[in-house]
Order: sequence, then C-alpha cells, then structure tokens
Amino acid sequence: MIATHSLPVDAFMELASGAGDSVVVRQLREAQLSKHLMLLRAVAEAADSVQPPSRSTAAFRAGYRLLEEVRSADPAAVARQLTLPQVGSWAHDCLAGLVRGTVPDFGYLAAAAAVAAISPGIGFEIDVPVTDGRVLLPGLGCLEVGGQADWITLSSDGKRLHAGEHIALECAALVPDDGATPPVPNWRGTPLVRSVADGQTWEVLLETADKHLDRYELPMLTTMTAAEVTTWRDRFQSAWELLVRQHDWAAGPIAEGVTVIVPLTPRSDLDSATSPAAFGAVATSLPPSAVRMAEAMVHEFQHIKLCGLMDMLPLVEPSADRGYAPWRDDPRPMEGMLQGVYAFTGVMRFWDVQRHREADPDAILRASVLYERWRLAIETVTGALLASGCLNPLGTRFVAELKERGRCPRSAAVPEEAAEIAREIALDNELTWQLSHRTLDASEVAALADAYRGGEPLGRRALPRAGLEDDIRKVDSIARSRLLNMRGQEPRRYRRLSASDLPGLHAADALLLGGNPGAALSAYREELAARPDPAAWIGLALAINRLPSMPLPSACARHLPLLFEIHACLAGQGIHADPLDLADWFE
Amino acid sequence: MSLQKQELNSVIPDLRDLSLEQLAELGDSALANSIALYRQRLTETGVPLNSFSARI
Repeated sequence: MIATHSLPVDAFMELASGAGDSVVVRQLREAQLSKHLMLLRAVAEAADSVQPPSRSTAAFRAGYRLLEEVRSADPAAVARQLTLPQVGSWAHDCLAGLVRGTVPDFGYLAAAAAVAAISPGIGFEIDVPVTDGRVLLPGLGCLEVGGQADWITLSSDGKRLHAGEHIALECAALVPDDGATPPVPNWRGTPLVRSVADGQTWEVLLETADKHLDRYELPMLTTMTAAEVTTWRDRFQSAWELLVRQHDWAAGPIAEGVTVIVPLTPRSDLDSATSPAAFGAVATSLPPSAVRMAEAMVHEFQHIKLCGLMDMLPLVEPSADRGYAPWRDDPRPMEGMLQGVYAFTGVMRFWDVQRHREADPDAILRASVLYERWRLAIETVTGALLASGCLNPLGTRFVAELKERGRCPRSAAVPEEAAEIAREIALDNELTWQLSHRTLDASEVAALADAYRGGEPLGRRALPRAGLEDDIRKVDSIARSRLLNMRGQEPRRYRRLSASDLPGLHAADALLLGGNPGAALSAYREELAARPDPAAWIGLALAINRLPSMPLPSACARHLPLLFEIHACLAGQGIHADPLDLADWFE
Repeated sequence: MSLQKQELNSVIPDLRDLSLEQLAELGDSALANSIALYRQRLTETGVPLNSFSARI
C-alpha cells in the first residue's frame, strides 16, 4: 500500500484564502515530483510495449537506468531534474500523445538523465537526440554538435563530457548562463536570471530551446540576443525589488515556486499564461514595466498554486456548465472561472498594496480602480460558483473561504471616484456579456410582449426560460467599453480626449463619456425609438446609472436581454415601446 | 487532534522514496489508479491543455 501526499487543513485554508507561504508551495512542489514519477512510469510502460524497440525507446530505457543509478548515489540530483517544469511538461506531452495515438518523444529522457548525472559527477555513456545540430540538456543548455546526425553519444567520466568523437568539455562548465561566466566553446547555457533584493534571491531560467515548454496560445521565443536577455534581467530585477519591498506576502512563495520563464512572442503590450502541465513555469511576453511584470507574476503564480493544489485535491466536478467571468467577454467553463477568480484574488491584493504605495494621483486612481474592479469580480464569481453545483465538498469549502476573503478587504474602501468607475466598468462588462450570450424562449417573450401591449400588469407571470449561446446578438459597443476602461486605466489620456479622438462613437455615447448622462439618456431613448439595438440598451442603463436622481431599474441590471427582446418583439409589430416605461413594468 | 492539524489525503501517491525499479513492481495499485485518473482528466479537459489565457 502506497501512502499518498497529504496537505494539512491549515495549509489548504491558507491557499483558499489566496495566500500560501513558501512552506506550502514546497509541499505542492514535492507532490509534483511524485506526479512526474507517476507519469514517467506510465511513459516507461508505453516504451516497453514498443516492439521491436526503436532507437528512441532504447535511449529512454538507458535514461531510465541512468536515472536509477544517479538516484542511488545522489537522490537530490534526480529530484531536482525530475521536478523541472519542462520534464513534467514532456511527460504530460508523452501521455497526451499516447491518448492521441502519436509516438512520444521517448529520447528526451536520455538527455534529462545525462543532466542529472553531470552535476554530481557520475560517469555515463548514453545516446541522445540531436535537433538542428544541437543537443538539448533540459534545464542546463544546449551542446552545439553540428552535423546532420539525429543522434549522438554522450559519455562522461564524471569530469569531462565527450559528445561524439570530436567535442570534449569540462562538466563543471556545463551550467546555465548567468551573464557572468565566460563563453565555453560548443556550449550555450540557458540564460539564468538571478534577481537579488534586500538579501532575497530569485533565480529563474529563461527557456527558449525546449519545445515541450512551447505549449501556450502564443509561440515561445526561440532566440534571444544578448541585449534582449539583459533587458529581461533588468526588468526582473526591478520587479523583484518591487515584490520584495512592497509585496513580501508574494515574493518568497514566487521565488520558491517559479523556476522557469518562457518568453512569448508578444501579441499585445503584455500576454502571460500558465499551464497545469508545467508546474513552476510562467510564460510571458516582456512586460512593459516593473509594476506590470510584478502583477503578471502574482497573477500567474496564483494559477500555479491552484494547479498544484488541484493535482492533489480535485475541487470541481466534471461539468459542461458555463457562466459569467467578469474578465472575459464569452461564457467560461466552471474550472476556468475558479482559476480566474483565484488569480484575481492575488491581483486584488496586489493592487490593494499598490494603491497605498503609489505617489502620482493618476497611479493611485488606477490602482484603486483595479483593486475595486477585481474585488467586485470575486464577489460575483465566487457566488456563482457556490450556486453552480459544480464544486465537490472540498471545492465548496475552498470557494467559500475565497468569497469570505474577498468580502473582508485588508484596508479601507477606495475613494468614491474609483468605486464609481469600477462599478461602471463592471456593469458595462456584465450587461454586454448578458446581451451577447443570454438566450430567451421566443414564445414566452412574445407572451410577455402581448401582456405589456395589452396594459396588463406583470404580476406573477414567470419570466422566459433562459439559456446561453455564444454571440447570439451583435453588440456594437467596443469603442465605448474601451473608453470606459481607459477612464480607470489611463486617467490622464482619458482626460485629454477630444471629439477628434473618438471616431465612430455614437452621439449618445459621446454625451455619456462627455459627462452628460441626462442628455445621453434622451439620446439613447431616441436611438431605441428608431430601432432595437443591444448597445443602445446598455448605454441607456449606463446613463441611468450615472444619474444621481434616478435609481437604475432592477430590470435593467438583471434582465436587460429580456427588455431588449420584448422591445424588439413589439417593434416588429410596429409598436415603439418607451424603454423606461418597459423597464418600469418589471418593477 | 484539532481540525487545523488534520491532513487532507491527496490523489497523488508519494513516490519520492521509491526507486524507479520499485515503481515498475507496483502493478495494479494506487499508482495505476492515479495514472488512470490522470489519463481520465486528460481526456475530460482536452489534449493538450493550453494556456490560461484561453482557459480561465
């Protein structure tokens, strides 16, 4: 009987609160070693089943034996190697390939085993794969062997490594490139970033050579110049200083848990990602500033922790249900919603600290808006998850704690201006999502339209059955939403906007964004008298929301797709219902 | 034992102190069950799992 990894309840609750210190992160990482061993065993069974053995499976078997030999002499060296995110990612890819029916990259293990043997100085001889004239040594670097061969024999007496017949290097020289060591012929060490602040060190590898880490939506950078590596080092150093000095709750655990950075080809000013297959790796494009890099690390590290936890303790039952995630504009699966709300719990805490540390008024406003925005999102999503029925008992406990932490902010409420901007962005996002994806039973909508037209009260009539379908209505409000976000994200730029900066913006939107909600409300009513338009309905709700004298009708906040459908149904009959009168019918 | 000191048992077998040869000898055991569970999750969540920018 094998024991399983366990997690103390207090560690579980610490993670559920959005935190988790270095000790907890180490426990998650130790479980990952067992997970990788488990996957390795499954790959070994697959390799054994290949008959007759191929060169690749033979290399795998040799790697497996070498790992065993190194393990008996230096277990820590093997544990270090097998815990690498790229090794977990490789094992995952092998299993995924077997599910798909493709041949796994068996030979990778031989190179990984060679690395495990090199640092403790254990001799070996093993065949390893060559790609484009290079031998990848996972977590260390690449041997430049040249030639056209697909395989090469590596041999070592513990002090010198020979690659084929012509290349020989000192084993001690086979280390990652920390920027301070002199170049070694035939060797290209993986760039190592060592950031130090107030006595705390964080070391990460910038991995651009391992194809098993090229698993994100955006492609991995495959080359980096020395100048680019220096830029990354500088950015890491600045971000690390920020984390250590202002976010010590995050700094230590990140240094414990993030060991590899996968630089991505940028698509926007910042794209970052995490994969459950690569615990300890964060993929990111070069963040534009230290603050953005620190935020991205906090965000992605939340995913890493939750991936590690959910490997140990599943929290979500399999489900096809989808729901509203305030950080997206499309319906999301429940596990994705849990991942997102956990990430933004960390991000909320990040901005809660930043809003008290910034000096520039616009930076304070931005930080306050971001804090409030994600605080509101946590309340919304944790409530939806708890009501979804998709959580198992442990998942329910986890999300309940998360919800409670979101309700108990560590510091005072944000200034009203920031709160108002955050609420407006949240309202716009949710109404846009509702109108884009919420379906309603057409015959039941028509029955309600008939009742309204006949002057009957709503009474206890049931509301139409609702469902979800991607992009059921076209909502043309991207420009308005972008500007509402700019109000909080880039206050200076927003203040300087003039009419010429707003091409294509509807007249009513310009009035709203120009700070004239009363006139905007009239303009939206006129637009809706002319034609049913989802974007105008949202604008109408946003305008009312800005009017201090006029509370937002609950139907506008909760049933806007229904108002739109009834209004459109009546318009189809030649009847132009006043939007406010229709909203009042539901009160 | 107080509630906070209790341990939650995970689905991952603790293999850290086993040799690789011992792994091979485990056969139909918790290890096989855990691998089966992982394969099942692979199938349920799609192959390959991609970035969270697409998943959250």
